[in-house]
Amino acid sequence: MTESTTENRAFVDVVKVTKVYSPDIVALQNISLSVDRGEILFLTGMSGAGKSTLLKLLCCMERPNKGLIEVAGRDTGKLKKNEIQELRQQIGIAYQDFKILPRHTVFQNVAMPMEVMYKPAREIRDRVSELLDSLQMSHKKDLPAGKLSRGEQQRVAIARAAVNRPALLLADEPTGNLDHEVTKMVMNLFLDLNNSGSTIIIATHDTSIYEGTSHRMVKLEHGLFN
Amino acid sequence: MARYRYHLKQTWRNLGQSWGTQIMTLFTVIMSVLIFSFFLLVYVNLINAGNRFSDELRLVVYLNHEIVPEMQPQIRKKIMEFSAVENIVFVSRSQAFARFKKQLGRDSDVLEDLGADIMPPSIEVYPLRDLDHLTQLKEFSDYLATLPGAQKVQYGQGWVERFGHFTELIRFTVILSGILLIMATSFMVSYTIRLTVVAKEAELEILRLLGASSTYVQTPLLIEGLLQGITGSTLGIGLLYILFTWAKERISGPGFLRLLDLTFLPPLTAVAVILVSIALCTGGSFIAIRKYMRI
Repeated sequence: MTESTTENRAFVDVVKVTKVYSPDIVALQNISLSVDRGEILFLTGMSGAGKSTLLKLLCCMERPNKGLIEVAGRDTGKLKKNEIQELRQQIGIAYQDFKILPRHTVFQNVAMPMEVMYKPAREIRDRVSELLDSLQMSHKKDLPAGKLSRGEQQRVAIARAAVNRPALLLADEPTGNLDHEVTKMVMNLFLDLNNSGSTIIIATHDTSIYEGTSHRMVKLEHGLFN
Repeated sequence: MARYRYHLKQTWRNLGQSWGTQIMTLFTVIMSVLIFSFFLLVYVNLINAGNRFSDELRLVVYLNHEIVPEMQPQIRKKIMEFSAVENIVFVSRSQAFARFKKQLGRDSDVLEDLGADIMPPSIEVYPLRDLDHLTQLKEFSDYLATLPGAQKVQYGQGWVERFGHFTELIRFTVILSGILLIMATSFMVSYTIRLTVVAKEAELEILRLLGASSTYVQTPLLIEGLLQGITGSTLGIGLLYILFTWAKERISGPGFLRLLDLTFLPPLTAVAVILVSIALCTGGSFIAIRKYMRI
């Protein structure tokens, strides 16, 4: 009975959350959202609607002014520093601004989350090569990431988010700089991860990636769910 | 095992990214250790020399009358009240006469018509042969002059005082260079780590977002300080040894310096200098991490 309750429990729970940036910019207003374990959720809305803020709150980059956020059954507001570190190791994040290290090679950038978890070198090599293959980036693995085009840098950011097969993957405008073919590659990668159990939240205003799919889509407008 | 490999790899990466600053820091650590251990070496050799010179060092208190055996414990106690000593010998007139006769050897016949009365009785006080006691000989001599029946106190005033003052000066220099060592090594290493932290701000921020533990981020920086300490202090002591060997070869001919019989720092002292330098460098990086890192 207990096991079944845990299984059914939402992986992400956002309850009446408000986020206000100084001095009085309201990014999110009293929003609630529940995402089940293994679900793919598309978070849509115009620029400035609050999509990125919500993702930042989920990975503890920001703290809400009001409300409760639970990820993997843990109240993020009550986590200690080391617990936040542990939680972040379960979350893969593809940032809108990539946050990659330009002087590090593509391989080094993608390998970072695995290195942080002290994974064996062979495992890292295999997994990073597999991901770079699937995103057609293998031939650039030894290049400094700063030398790549925006689209290629975005693929590096996505590969880094996916490398640990995270329990929760947050992708902020993951296809913003990609053409149709590469977008399909990225979406296939997300679907593979989802099939192996990852919960995925994708913030996007690219309608082509969620139209015609059976996945849930929620729209944010001026910090509120529409 | 994987952890150690990551930490070492990351340390190597850090060193590669800021090699110019690292070399400057290493140079500072080497020079600080070299300067400090040089003065320490001089000090150690002076102490050794002092011990050798003072083997025959004694204060002779000439008396105007013999001290009867019953009085000797009382006099002994009075001397010890001022300072602990190595030995006290009461020399009677006849003992002094016999000694003098022996010293004269073949010429002792000049004393044939003379009696032991020509020699004054005395007390020979052998002070402890360490720096503190050597530098207090003047005060000790003044004190001995107040003993009952004391006429005159003799010792090698001139050179002992000069030697004592010179050794004091070297001791002061050792302390000053020790402070220099502490300040230079810990400050420079701390400053280098600070530069590393500033240069790696973006990387540290990303590592934080990826869930890197404090150990993952901080250990390579601590290893960096540790390596600076190990390399800098070992090279500093090694360089001193080379200089010492070179200098010893050049002053090993006849002359005053030969009397010094120069010796290098005792192994335990050299190891202690290295360990303290390592601790200072690691401490410097630890302070910088605590002060400048947000992770």
